[in-house]
Amino acid sequence: MMEKMIFGRYIPAVSPMHRMDPRSKIILVFLFVCVVFIANNAITYGLLAIYTFLMVLSSKVPIRFILGGLRIVLWLVLFTLVLHLFFTKEGEVLFHWGAISIYEGGLKQGIFISVRFFLLILMTSLLTLTTTPIEITDGIEVLLNPLKKIKFPVHELALMMSISLRFIPTLMEETDKIMKAQTARGVEFSGGPIKDRVKAIIPLLIPLFIGSFKRAEELATAMEARGYRGGEGRTKYRQLRWSLVDTVMLLILAVVTAALVLFRS
Amino acid sequence: MKSFNVKALVSIGMLSSIGFVLMLLNFPLPPFPKFLMVDFSDIPALIAALIFGPVAGILVELFKNILDYVITSSETGIPVGHISNFIAGILFVVPTYYIYEKLKTKKGMTYALVAGTVIMAIVMSVLNYFVFLPAYTLFMGFPAMSGDETRQMIVAGILPFNIVKGIIISIVFILLFSRMSTWIGKQRAYRV
Repeated sequence: MMEKMIFGRYIPAVSPMHRMDPRSKIILVFLFVCVVFIANNAITYGLLAIYTFLMVLSSKVPIRFILGGLRIVLWLVLFTLVLHLFFTKEGEVLFHWGAISIYEGGLKQGIFISVRFFLLILMTSLLTLTTTPIEITDGIEVLLNPLKKIKFPVHELALMMSISLRFIPTLMEETDKIMKAQTARGVEFSGGPIKDRVKAIIPLLIPLFIGSFKRAEELATAMEARGYRGGEGRTKYRQLRWSLVDTVMLLILAVVTAALVLFRS
Repeated sequence: MKSFNVKALVSIGMLSSIGFVLMLLNFPLPPFPKFLMVDFSDIPALIAALIFGPVAGILVELFKNILDYVITSSETGIPVGHISNFIAGILFVVPTYYIYEKLKTKKGMTYALVAGTVIMAIVMSVLNYFVFLPAYTLFMGFPAMSGDETRQMIVAGILPFNIVKGIIISIVFILLFSRMSTWIGKQRAYRV
């Protein structure tokens, strides 16, 4: 449980996707989300599916993790498919039985949208599966850097984000400790009527808030004692490096996009 | 933003982690569908707003949702639920803060929370009608729901749910506030 909170859904492996810089990974996934909507016929959807499949395969993330994430949305996709099958009335009638008739347009539409949905989920979960949350934060900070020109406090936001990421395990541990202490005194947190749950949460929240403010005080003092004065001239422990893999990956996506534009009807 | 000192920056980060942890301890309310969950993650945002001002409250709402998206990941890949949670949080925290600032008493906090709940529930219903539900159906490629169906879903499900959720959070916050108001007042000294 604790481990899960530090690394999110990150799964370590050696692959091009893991070696990519978080910046280019975020750009890649963002572009992919836009590019998906170019596809509008069998060839283009097939192309996208092959691209996504190869990306998943090359990431070396065990298939069961990816399928685990997909299981939750499977019913949603099936629901969409069924809805389209029965309610989109375009093209020729393929199948007719009693009051139910399935149209060619409905079948096509249903399959296309399910595929699009699957591909979107696969690529976005590939980002969180191959990148740690702290890397994503660093990547976003650098990508938002141009906004500093209009006085947007990028550094401060990234700092707050990293601090909250860093303290999640600590706070979870503390929550757990307080919950156990209260359970030992006969409080029940899970189950029971709403009224009891509401009452039980108060003695959990108060020590949590006061403890975290004490911690914040200590951390702030430590930072100031070490000469922290905002983002100006700060050096980084985790350096981001743009390498060949990043350029190649983005080029591949560019080629796929060009092919999509060419083949779309 | 420039007015935040280091202590405020660090505290906002910490309160966001508490918000995220509380988001994990969510639970469904029996009469409503399972995807409408209640959690207490708006409480750290309220405390942040009371101590460091409304921007801090908004930031806590923002970070807890980003954390939840990055760590537990969205079911749909695109954070529709997170965006609506973020907006609902702002709509609850900001009005509550401003009304409390006008009244400044424990009784005033009750009025502020009631007003916050009502504003949040009404604006969220309107937003759901015009933005979220249509966006959801568009993205999923569902055949669009008719105006009547959408209206029915909002009146029967989303509006009462948000009111009940607001009331539960308000009760917890009032119980908390009656014990912590002196402490919160002291912490406000750090506000610059």
